[in-house]
Amino acid sequence: MKSPDLGARAAGADVDRSTPAVFDAELLSACISCGFCLPACPTYALTLDERSSPRGRITLMRAIDEGRVSLDDPGAQEQASFCLGCRACEPVCPAGVQYGALLEQWRDVTWSGTRTPPVAGALRAAVRVRPALGLAGRLRGAARPTGRASGDGIALMLGCAERAMLPGVSRAVTRLLPGIDVPAGQGCCGALHAHNGASAVGADLASDLGETFPGTILTTAGGCAAHLAHVLGRDRVRELSEHLCEVWSDGTGAPPLRRLTVDGRPMRVALQDSCHARNALGVVATPRELISRVADYVELPSASTCCGSAGTYSYLRRADSRRVLDPKLDEIESSGVDVLVVINPGCQLQVRGGLARRRSAVRVLHLAELLDEAMGGHEGA
Amino acid sequence: MSVPVASGVLPFVRGRIDPRVLAELAAVVGRERVLTGDADVEPFSRDATPLFRSRPDYVVLPRTTDEVAAVLRLATRTGVPVTPRGAGSNLAAATVPERGGIVLVLTSLDRVLEVSVDELLVVAQAGATTAAVADAATAVGLLFPPDPGSRTVSTIGGNVATCAGGLRGLKYGVTRNYVLGCEAVLPTGEVIRTGGRLWKDVAGYDLTRLLTGSEGTLAVITEVTAALLPAPETSRTGLAYFDSLAEAGRAVSAIIAAGTLPATLEFLDHACINAVEDYARLGLDRDAGALLLFGDDGRTESVERSLDTMAGICATAGARRVELAADVAESEHLLAARRCSLPALARLGSVTMLEDVTVPRPALARMVDDIASIAVELDVTCATFGHAGDGNLHPTIVFDAGDDDARVRAESAFDRIFVRALELGGTITGEHGVGAAKRPWLVRRLGPDQMALLRRIKTAFDPAGILNPGKLGS
Repeated sequence: MKSPDLGARAAGADVDRSTPAVFDAELLSACISCGFCLPACPTYALTLDERSSPRGRITLMRAIDEGRVSLDDPGAQEQASFCLGCRACEPVCPAGVQYGALLEQWRDVTWSGTRTPPVAGALRAAVRVRPALGLAGRLRGAARPTGRASGDGIALMLGCAERAMLPGVSRAVTRLLPGIDVPAGQGCCGALHAHNGASAVGADLASDLGETFPGTILTTAGGCAAHLAHVLGRDRVRELSEHLCEVWSDGTGAPPLRRLTVDGRPMRVALQDSCHARNALGVVATPRELISRVADYVELPSASTCCGSAGTYSYLRRADSRRVLDPKLDEIESSGVDVLVVINPGCQLQVRGGLARRRSAVRVLHLAELLDEAMGGHEGA
Repeated sequence: MSVPVASGVLPFVRGRIDPRVLAELAAVVGRERVLTGDADVEPFSRDATPLFRSRPDYVVLPRTTDEVAAVLRLATRTGVPVTPRGAGSNLAAATVPERGGIVLVLTSLDRVLEVSVDELLVVAQAGATTAAVADAATAVGLLFPPDPGSRTVSTIGGNVATCAGGLRGLKYGVTRNYVLGCEAVLPTGEVIRTGGRLWKDVAGYDLTRLLTGSEGTLAVITEVTAALLPAPETSRTGLAYFDSLAEAGRAVSAIIAAGTLPATLEFLDHACINAVEDYARLGLDRDAGALLLFGDDGRTESVERSLDTMAGICATAGARRVELAADVAESEHLLAARRCSLPALARLGSVTMLEDVTVPRPALARMVDDIASIAVELDVTCATFGHAGDGNLHPTIVFDAGDDDARVRAESAFDRIFVRALELGGTITGEHGVGAAKRPWLVRRLGPDQMALLRRIKTAFDPAGILNPGKLGS
């Protein structure tokens, strides 16, 4: 009864080298399976199941490269897709495993060609049409381009999702930083592609954007910031809170900011970290510091964990996305805050949508919008 | 084995899914909580032990003690091996299903059920993490002392099953010193409750202690009742740098001789200091040959006195520099950095093998020296850290996967380290356990008579031999 195939499988000796390796062997070998990542992983928290932990996924990646598990195995496909890609496992990993890079390599093959999830494919295609991005920005009233970047200084990136769906953010930035360059003809940074099975396209788009911006790219989106830093180098990218803290540090650069109030008492404001800004770039202190300048800052216990937006995740896996979000919404509502601040458009749409479904009175603002209110600008949310 | 296989079910053959077994498992826990697909079972084929991997045929994720009992009854009836698993942070391959069969995952039994301030105890399901248990105690001003490095990951059931140790061994002891009682399921399906909520209870053999450290070979622990202590008023940590581990070892002996009983007495060698610093960026002295982390807890004035004494002894013993942490938060940083020594060392190469020998404290400096000379002789990259206070050493050898020669040299180095530890009156494992990884050396520690007794005990609990076969008691 014992087939040779099964016997070999049991012994773990059968290594099929006929398919090229999917993963960078050096990145993969960094993991020692200690499991320190488990408590940081939002999908492991949902399931308490090794399969949906970073370590479990890395064990799968190894099995795929060593030929013990097929790339097409539905269980493997499911785990590649179920992962949020939040990279919360990276800062807690003492061995320095670059999980985000491994996930991109996995999705490059599992979501390639006809296997691309239709929503991801459509978005990947849509944001590549530069005139459409420009048009969306104009129609929605995002900040107007100021022409070509004037030099090698810092200039504002408009993003694609933000231009089309959250145009108030870039307008607020132009008031906070009067005279900031906004280069014309900006494309997409490619983060969406890199995270959704097209990392080569993602890298090309980032390089293109790097040419549109000869100097430093200022971005209001944590996900874009991390992707651009990965491709162009950390020194070419400034996330908004980092830049504001730097230029406002000497006290002369800052515009007059008033302390925000609600019904005569100080406004209570919490933060939802951007996973990639925090886990890939280490942006932790600066958004908190800026909020504290204008309001009473409230640290939510889950501030650093993913909200479930995770790029296209909220479209591709709506039910899981909401399972990740729900406990956070409970926490926001019971914390008594007036405003939740975000530093990434995906989080803004996700948390705003979740709170709206609950008819919550808590407003969701981008950090730029909160600071703009404190400067006297008022557009309403 | 001695129990006949039920009719209608095929004898267990590894690598073959028996539809009757699958149907029965699914009837117990639900089909979605029985995994059989390649990609679904692969993540359960290993724990944190390098070089050990073995794929289970079924992974079962029960949610209740009754479900655990039903699975075990089925296994005993059909002869399917069962390997219990918590969070899989074991370092001796104790949760690797060497003979296939079922991996029984306890992580879904994750509730901390009760903390009793009056009785100074906590009751938790086996799958609750050790950190969750400790946090529940802290929340009401109590302390759960066992403090294994993997506490945020590992489960309390796994900690009891392996008698986990940790950073507080000298002053507070290890997991076994705090387990008051267990709910456990025998391989034949009976649910037993050993011990209970009492500090004094000598009715019968101490089965609680027998299960503690039994590595999932006698019964499946489903609930733990553990003793707590009042939380100390404060705690504080200091560090001393030495030119060599041997010097640090002499300081340790002097600290104990002076009548202090510190809560923390940990050391790292030169390579560990640098690996930890690479990860944690604490500003450690990268040039030092050894770092001794010392600390105490208790009333503020006694902690201050204890820290002063230890700092003075380190200075006298020739420390290059002695520093005291400013406050509890800074102390916690230092301890957190120490806990991640092992994974931080993994940066040095792709395979990280660590061992767990323990020697009587007076032999510590001697053992450290011998490890260093064995490493030089066999040309292996070896870093050592450990719990100086209780003589528990973690020599760690790092090499690249695929370098078979290096692997063989690492194995012979460990073989010689084990022999040396036994010669010095020590043991082959202080806290990680025997599992599959150290099973071949166990007879050298216990001798044939005790090995035979272990087998008879195993048979008394597990007549069909289905529970974690091939490990302790085999």
